[in-house]
Amino acid sequence: MEQVLATTLRSAAPLVLVAMAGVFAFRAGIFHLGLEGLMITGAFTTVAVGDATGSVELGILAAIGVCMALSAVYWWVIGPLGANVIIAGLGLTSIGLGGTAFALGAIFDIRGSMFTDVVLPRPVRGATSGPGVIISEHSILVWITPLIVLVAWIVLRRSRFGLRLAAVGEYPFAARSAGVNPSIVRLQALLISGALCALGGAELSVGALRNFTENMTNGRGFIAFVAVIFGAWHPIGAALAGLFFGLADAIGIQSQINITERVPREFVLMIPFVLTIFAVWLGGLWRRRTLEAEAGYAELREPDY
Amino acid sequence: MTVPSGPASAEVPAVRCRSLGVSFGTVQALHDISLDLAAGRIHALVGQNGAGKTTLAKVLGGLQAPDNGTVCIAGNQIPPGDVRAAKSAGLAMVHQHFSLPPSFTVAEALELAAARPESHSVYRRTELYRRWQNEVAEVGGTNVLATRIRDLPVETRQSLEIVRALASEARILLLDEPTALLTPAATDTLFERLRGLRDDGVTILIVLHKLREVAAVADTVSVLRDGKLVLGPSEISGVSQGQLSDAIVGPAPDADRAIAVEAAANAEQQLLLELVRVSSRESAFEPGLASIDLTVEAREIVGIAGVEGNGQRSLVSVIAGLSAVTEGSVLLGGEEVTRAPPARRRLRGLRLVPFDRNSEGISRSAPLWLNQSALRLIGRRRQFPLISLRQYKRQASEAMDLWRVRYDTVAQPAESLSGGNVQRLVLSRELASGLEVLVAAQPTRGLDFSATNFVRRSLRGLRDAGAGVLLVSSDLDELFELSDRLFVMYGGSIVARFNAPYDRQAVGDAMTGALR
Repeated sequence: MEQVLATTLRSAAPLVLVAMAGVFAFRAGIFHLGLEGLMITGAFTTVAVGDATGSVELGILAAIGVCMALSAVYWWVIGPLGANVIIAGLGLTSIGLGGTAFALGAIFDIRGSMFTDVVLPRPVRGATSGPGVIISEHSILVWITPLIVLVAWIVLRRSRFGLRLAAVGEYPFAARSAGVNPSIVRLQALLISGALCALGGAELSVGALRNFTENMTNGRGFIAFVAVIFGAWHPIGAALAGLFFGLADAIGIQSQINITERVPREFVLMIPFVLTIFAVWLGGLWRRRTLEAEAGYAELREPDY
Repeated sequence: MTVPSGPASAEVPAVRCRSLGVSFGTVQALHDISLDLAAGRIHALVGQNGAGKTTLAKVLGGLQAPDNGTVCIAGNQIPPGDVRAAKSAGLAMVHQHFSLPPSFTVAEALELAAARPESHSVYRRTELYRRWQNEVAEVGGTNVLATRIRDLPVETRQSLEIVRALASEARILLLDEPTALLTPAATDTLFERLRGLRDDGVTILIVLHKLREVAAVADTVSVLRDGKLVLGPSEISGVSQGQLSDAIVGPAPDADRAIAVEAAANAEQQLLLELVRVSSRESAFEPGLASIDLTVEAREIVGIAGVEGNGQRSLVSVIAGLSAVTEGSVLLGGEEVTRAPPARRRLRGLRLVPFDRNSEGISRSAPLWLNQSALRLIGRRRQFPLISLRQYKRQASEAMDLWRVRYDTVAQPAESLSGGNVQRLVLSRELASGLEVLVAAQPTRGLDFSATNFVRRSLRGLRDAGAGVLLVSSDLDELFELSDRLFVMYGGSIVARFNAPYDRQAVGDAMTGALR
């Protein structure tokens, strides 16, 4: 039980960080499907720069810089150049996944996994049994994730910047008539989003583990995006959704260890994804009425025959 | 720049513009406009759909950069297309379309729109409520502050737009067709408010459609036609109604234009549309229908009166086949269509002018010709599957020319049209051949008066040609003028039925539920 909770926190932290990134983008009106690509870029850059300099801090700073730069490019492509947001986002994901695998080979001449000595500090260590296990062995990023969620909530729901951001996403005309430049606000949202993705990736590579592996995000960016939708693009809601997906992941991992003799392994591997689909369906049921209202007019729905 | 406080001095005009020009593609929206608006007065700006009124308002408000010319607000020249500069010079706009985000609470929306010196970048909710409680006192008191914009009635949203504009301590208020969505009573309240503001020294420029409203509220009037200033600003007392309408319509009035509508109603069929004890589920905005009985026969116009939100939208969408019937049946020309999809109803001769032309009447991103041809494309099942694009485009442009839609090319997206032009586009499609029953929801809302007359003549022409018309409107004068029979809806039911001549008092009582 304690082990499941500990794994939940470890699995959830990168999801929650990237979900926050998704919330910032979503509220600015951007369906950000490039989260996965930014996340793996963050994971790779942290390991590469951290390993080269021997400093995990420099690694994370470099990751934040690279991800923000990529986000600025993404903004330029979907904003001034007018490309389709979804296609460009998927392109960003492909660039991230392919680019990091390529860089791993080109720079370090490694295929597969690159191990490193740099690792994030772990404030609480050493517990082997009892409730202490739950909080033991987590990286500093896991500890500050709740703080980041709180800050995200304040920025999005209790600040004038958050109001401008939401206005840009929901109704750009309102933002423009309030003297706000929607394009600049979208850039700001994407830059914040990029930094958060870098942190999520870093937690994955040097927080929970000590290596970078090709495609190590393994769809987490997309699951984080689902958490944004499931959490009704509210920072707290998305964080709870991320925590839930972390729990699903933990249960999957735990049952792999415990019950693989009786249940086929493939079935156990399915659990997190089945839970995800179930959760999204449930979220859709809950929000059906409000979505109807947001879509403008109920008459626009397909008739019920 | 400083915010001028107190009434601006009489010598400096509140708004001065010189040789403004704006063009969109090949359409010259504004042509060499020079205009001085004196401070502390109510100035009306009138003109037909597409005459350039909204464009002029946007240029003055800094939302649209002019191609040439200058704008001075209270003596300060405004850089072209700079909303902030116009704002800090003391000008605020109230838009034709609402400018407050629907999911925001009132307090949040006001905070977004109007920065205050005392505002911090992070706030607490109670702090917002305290800050805005005085401003909303007139629109429903402090408990409205936590309400979402989308949950407010349309009049309150309109009032909030003015609150929003004034919250930034504006001394000059620009209102773009503020009465288009308002009931007559709400319009009177608005005008009362504007007069009060004027007496406090605020300068007001108001874009209007109805000459009656101009006479009711304005001190001076200016007329735009085809992007040119053809009259004014002149004192309202010095201009006759006749002069005004001549200036608006121009030298070639279309008063006697032929109405090219034909109805395909076959003579034997008398009962064209019949609803038998129809009920439907409530929507997020309206009560459902409660056992509605209704008939529309050939050669008649049946009017539906009622305060908005009493089931009119449900009624229209049930007839159109856009929302499901829970009980009862709908018959078109004697054939049961209760569960038939919209396309089959269209083939049975049903035509529809929907309430919300932008979201229900057109596909905003599709080109004009496709929007115009949409009806010709259904019911082609037994014909040759290929079509001639050139022929469709030609037919579309002919129909749009007939309805005087102002457009650049048939390939431009429908969303590039102005509001009145979209309505003309919808009418040009729906009032074409094959029509037996027309359901017209607010067909003249947002149209200028010559287009309004054209639509009304067309409806009469349809009736005389043998069609049936169900006219849903919130304009009682229109209903009284056109309807052969008049029903009043209240709370999802038909609560009263009238025959001409109509008693305004009795109809009004039924609308407010006084009969119950």
